[in-house]
Amino acid sequence: MIEGILVEGLIYGIMVLGVFITFRVLDFPDLTVDGSFPLGAALMVQCMLLGVNNWLALLVAFAGGVLAGMVTALIHNHLKVPNLLAGILTMTMLYSINIRILGNRANVPILNQETILTQITDRLTGIVPDDYILLVFFVVVAIVVKVLLDLFFRTDLGMTLGALGNNEQMVISQGVNPKTLKTIGVGLSNGLVALSGAFAAQYLGFADVGLGQGIIISGLASVMIGEFLVMKSNRIGVLTFCALMGSILFHGVMYVGRYYGYLIKMTPNDLNLIKGVLIILLLVISQSKKLKKFALKAMVQK
Amino acid sequence: MRKRIGLLLTFLAVLVISAPVLAANPPKRVLIGISKIVAHPALDAVEKGIQDELAAEKINAQYDLQNANGDISTASSIANKFQSERVNLAVGIATPTSQALANTLKGIPIVFSAVTDPVKAGLVPSLRQGGKSVTGVSDMTPVKQQIQLLLRIKKVKRLGHIYTSSEENAVVLAGIVKQACKELGIEYVETTVSKSAEVKQAVQAIIHRVDALYISTDNTVVSALSAVADVAMKNRVPIMSADPSSAETYPVLAAWGFDYYKMGRATGRLVAEILRGKKPAQIPTRFMTKTSDIDLLINLDVARKLGLTVPKDIVKSANQLVENGKLIKKK
Repeated sequence: MIEGILVEGLIYGIMVLGVFITFRVLDFPDLTVDGSFPLGAALMVQCMLLGVNNWLALLVAFAGGVLAGMVTALIHNHLKVPNLLAGILTMTMLYSINIRILGNRANVPILNQETILTQITDRLTGIVPDDYILLVFFVVVAIVVKVLLDLFFRTDLGMTLGALGNNEQMVISQGVNPKTLKTIGVGLSNGLVALSGAFAAQYLGFADVGLGQGIIISGLASVMIGEFLVMKSNRIGVLTFCALMGSILFHGVMYVGRYYGYLIKMTPNDLNLIKGVLIILLLVISQSKKLKKFALKAMVQK
Repeated sequence: MRKRIGLLLTFLAVLVISAPVLAANPPKRVLIGISKIVAHPALDAVEKGIQDELAAEKINAQYDLQNANGDISTASSIANKFQSERVNLAVGIATPTSQALANTLKGIPIVFSAVTDPVKAGLVPSLRQGGKSVTGVSDMTPVKQQIQLLLRIKKVKRLGHIYTSSEENAVVLAGIVKQACKELGIEYVETTVSKSAEVKQAVQAIIHRVDALYISTDNTVVSALSAVADVAMKNRVPIMSADPSSAETYPVLAAWGFDYYKMGRATGRLVAEILRGKKPAQIPTRFMTKTSDIDLLINLDVARKLGLTVPKDIVKSANQLVENGKLIKKK
């Protein structure tokens, strides 16, 4: 059970890193995620069935996600559409595109295919206990993605992206085009989401057009739980680590709901309600923290 | 602006003139619309069976094959398409698509197929007679017999069942599984999913509390069967499935259900009867009860891996066996 939570938490954690970039770094609420997650899964599975090298397929999935994100950013930038609507538009279009990619099917299983996960399992059998092979692999994958992302945010481009979310006017006054920045940022974010989808497809053993349903909510909840873990920090390394931890914790909560929910007459149908309530609770608590700060300041000023 | 109005008027005029031309194309052949909820092996087999049966009956039919990809709103737009195309007869494969056809089509006969409980789905008033223009074939499975078969292979005290809470036929079947467990004195452990991505997690959540898993003809769960089988085999828990066509490819201990292709043929026979003038209201819902309709698949490799012995008479009655990685079909 524990390794199941950790593995799922890490797989979806890559997606959470993507959501973190849009929602927190860019301040761009992006709903493309619900479409780009299954896009990654579909590209991965279809490439595998066509006999493309698995790692190359992973790259194709990532690139597909980047493109999807760029489309959202372009719609938002050039058609003056609010960012939420731009994301919904792309997500809706992706539904049809994903079915096309899967060869006009809604669900394609990976049967007896060599996946990256089976390759790794063969490689590590005997070295690592069977139950933990996937866990070890995904810990490595998550750390690699996280470190690469941290390095990216240390470059000039990454710094400017961070500044854009904080203060768009300042970025413009520095002579940088915010439209280009948004396109890069949202593209990168959805690339990560699609990468996560590609791994999820291999873990689950199929690609399905419905894989992305409600993914954005679990991503958001994970980001919020992660922020809840640490007090304010503006070090990107800490923030990305928290996003991953948040994902693991979120999946832990959902697992516990499934495992022990029946003890309090809760059915798995209630999980969506719990997701929503969880987010609202986190919002309430963080709000009251802010209020307390204000109250303290007022006290001091008196 | 004036130019634009001129253009618009010309366009309208062209439309008005061409409309009768477009519409005055009476179909020389019978046009049959088939709407299925999602592409998966069992439902695809039904679709193929219908077409093969009508070809065998020498009915010259043209098909409009539609797939709703699991989306209910798509199902109703397909029904609207059939209505505007004036199909001679519409076939709905699975419950949601059949319901959409029944709600939308006026004066066009409808034949449903692979619907578990047509009365509860509101398609027919009772199993003994058809609706006003609706009749069809039910895929109600012999749940109790299936569980009894499993009990003869393994002593099960707690049976786990995963189903989709948004799929009507899956919910109906879950109720029947619960009832059957009660009658057989087994503890029933259920969990639900809303989409295929949750199936693996759902299985992991109950696998430690069950001695065996039961999988009904639930489209969403069957499409994620690879994830179910993976978790179950790792935890040495046998699966009893009601869908033999998917059991050919995944490690499932036993699968007892229909050959969905044969159900397609049976549906095709109904379609032919209606096309030859029989009223749907006079045709009761058909069930797949003949022994020739039923498929039993036993996977001896899985049994060996789980340390179970399958009684000889069960092996004899199976028409499909998986042994040493090979699928043997008995006639």
